[in-house]
Amino acid sequence: MKRLMLGNEAAARGAYEAGATVAAAYPGTPSTEITENMAKYDGVYVEWSPNEKVALEVAIGGSLGGARSICSMKHVGLNVASDPLFTVSYTGVNGGLVLLVADDPGMHSSQNEQDSRHYARAAKVPMLEPSDSQECLDYVKQAFEISESFDCPVIVRLSTRISHSQSAVKTGERADYKLKDYNKDFTKYVMMPAMARKRHVEVEKRMLALQEYSETTDLNSIEWGSKKIGVITSGIAYQYAKEAFGDVSYLKIGMVYPLPDKLIAKFASEMETLYVVEELEPFFEDHIKKLGIKVTGKDLLPLMGELTAQLIKEKMLGVKQEVNEPLVDNVPVRPPVMCPGCPHRGMHYVLHKLKLTATGDIGCYTLGALPPTESIDTCICMGASIGTAHGMEKARGAEFAQKTVAVIGDSTFIHSGITSLIDVVYNKGNSTVLILDNSITAMTGFQPNPTTGYTIKGEVTRQVDLVKLAQAIGVERVRVANPFDIKEFEKIVKEETAAAEPSVIISKSPCALSKDVKFGGALKINQEKCKRCKQCLALGCPAIVNKGDFVETDEALCVGCMLCTIVCSFQAFEETGEKAGAKNG
Amino acid sequence: MVKEPLNIIITGVGGQGNVLASQVVSAAAVQAGYRVAVGETFGVSQRGGSVMSHVRLSLNRPCGPLIPRGQAHVVAGFEPLETMRVLLDYASAETVVIMNNRPNYPLGCLSGEHRYPDPERVEEAVKKMTPRLHVLPATELAKEAGSPLAANMVMTGALAGSGLLPFGRECFISVIGSLFQGIVRDLNLQAFESGFRRMDG
Repeated sequence: MKRLMLGNEAAARGAYEAGATVAAAYPGTPSTEITENMAKYDGVYVEWSPNEKVALEVAIGGSLGGARSICSMKHVGLNVASDPLFTVSYTGVNGGLVLLVADDPGMHSSQNEQDSRHYARAAKVPMLEPSDSQECLDYVKQAFEISESFDCPVIVRLSTRISHSQSAVKTGERADYKLKDYNKDFTKYVMMPAMARKRHVEVEKRMLALQEYSETTDLNSIEWGSKKIGVITSGIAYQYAKEAFGDVSYLKIGMVYPLPDKLIAKFASEMETLYVVEELEPFFEDHIKKLGIKVTGKDLLPLMGELTAQLIKEKMLGVKQEVNEPLVDNVPVRPPVMCPGCPHRGMHYVLHKLKLTATGDIGCYTLGALPPTESIDTCICMGASIGTAHGMEKARGAEFAQKTVAVIGDSTFIHSGITSLIDVVYNKGNSTVLILDNSITAMTGFQPNPTTGYTIKGEVTRQVDLVKLAQAIGVERVRVANPFDIKEFEKIVKEETAAAEPSVIISKSPCALSKDVKFGGALKINQEKCKRCKQCLALGCPAIVNKGDFVETDEALCVGCMLCTIVCSFQAFEETGEKAGAKNG
Repeated sequence: MVKEPLNIIITGVGGQGNVLASQVVSAAAVQAGYRVAVGETFGVSQRGGSVMSHVRLSLNRPCGPLIPRGQAHVVAGFEPLETMRVLLDYASAETVVIMNNRPNYPLGCLSGEHRYPDPERVEEAVKKMTPRLHVLPATELAKEAGSPLAANMVMTGALAGSGLLPFGRECFISVIGSLFQGIVRDLNLQAFESGFRRMDG
């Protein structure tokens, strides 16, 4: 029986059916649901790791220990995990080891749009790329076979549109996979130079064998149609190309590294015109050109963003799509916004008021960079806020540090902020670090982390004590603040930034979307008391609406967090007694 | 079925229950025996940003999850501005639109930096792209059913009642019945019925 499944759900199902028993990941859009779905299966150990490097190391341990293991991450997570990746490529595996990496062309939820295919080539690891949910399941199963046959990790590359699209999937039974024996073998698993040199020889041999495999595997297949046009494509781009070109010939690449040179040459030789349709980098195109084959790709299609069927039609076939005229003067953009009742709002209000330089990090709080508070100065990668603040201080002096804070969430701090805080203390910095502690990984949809107190399976576990951790690192000034008490919060931030030593402020409040958060209900503005000063608009709350001549609340959105009652000097916000609350479903 | 594939877009603001509505529509379609492909946006955009789900139904031909520009047959808009935004890219003169009339203001409009277009202007603009526009007070109807948050189910009901989908209300009822329990199920079913009645006949 076929079921409608997300690509991520189908990928998890594939790992389950392959008999995988170890799964580790750090959440990251668009990869998160792979691991959430793994956690629904019995007989699989699943964890949220502190970061992707740890997750891959856990999966490597699972593999060397004899189990089929998976590790999932978003594209930038692979940067974090790349250190173990490059060397596990040398050691090879015991039980099959599969990495699921989800790219984000178009940057729906990411800070860059790097193309993970480069990692396959750089780390000398085979990579598969499915084009729908069924292939997510099938390819993950096949990836385990390849991993064990060729003694190497295998990457399955997904992208936002594959991960987050649903299509029908035929599921199968779980394989009865027997845990392999673990045999100590330092020549294979201890990568000191003498052993690594020998393993590198094995890697190169393996790549030649994989190259041959790529020529014959049904992962790469030709769909014959008109031979006037031939299209080489893979993944979601295959779907777009089919929609754009219709009845032409396709070489659909399911194994994107190493590429099947002979198959490509054979296909090309039969076509009048050859196109490559791929998102992001000219990864196939460069390779095909290197084979001496004439092909058209990125001279017509963009290097940036997602492809669409109509974009391919327009750029490659010259078919223009009619455009609807807006007919209203402008269509205002709608960037994402912090939720009503969000604890970050009060913090941003204070940072803005104090005119601080705030080095930011990855999380919902990055949205504070936008108007009206514009209170975040930088966002580079997970954990970057603290090192960046420290570097700014070293460049501009200790006085600058007194007007600077690093802003980082609890999950991001655990991911890769702790080492930077150690750096600040060790190298005599004065940074003030604001840890926004809602004790959950909120932005990706409420995944528990080491500060939460329970695991992905819902089992109670120890919580990292952020106060003691900061103290143990050597920070003597550690304070806990309530971001809804804006006045006290402001006082604490002033004192800690002024201090000529490192300090940590833990801004402690649960996410507004948490089930446990109960506010009083919607507020309304008493128009007689309101002086139209519009100070409340500085909060950037989606429930406070500027109507031009007056301001009112949107009672369907307001949860009654009461921040506005503190900011308003005229006591104009009043309770309605109505229970509302826009919690995301 | 008239269109092969039939292309449906459900659009609104993150938090309005867009994804859930597309889940109900697509599960109902599967139950009715259709091949279904669904493309969604989640992630950071769920925080009050523009969101859109593409649902494509077909009897025979498999299709990709994303609807090409200008090829939406049915658009269910949970919010006027977002409906207009989607129509600019995806509407043809044949597109049928079901739109909730309640605005949700983007941050730029809340602060006064941008101006939210007048409701009449939005309707006028939509009608110029496609005359087949149905406007309904989904949020108000949801309030009457028990909570403004059930506007997504009112809209789903309106979609079911429009006769635009090639399967009937029983498919929807059974999906909603299986997704929820207790008072939430009652609320959602009531909201669905109220949207259904608004469009049916």
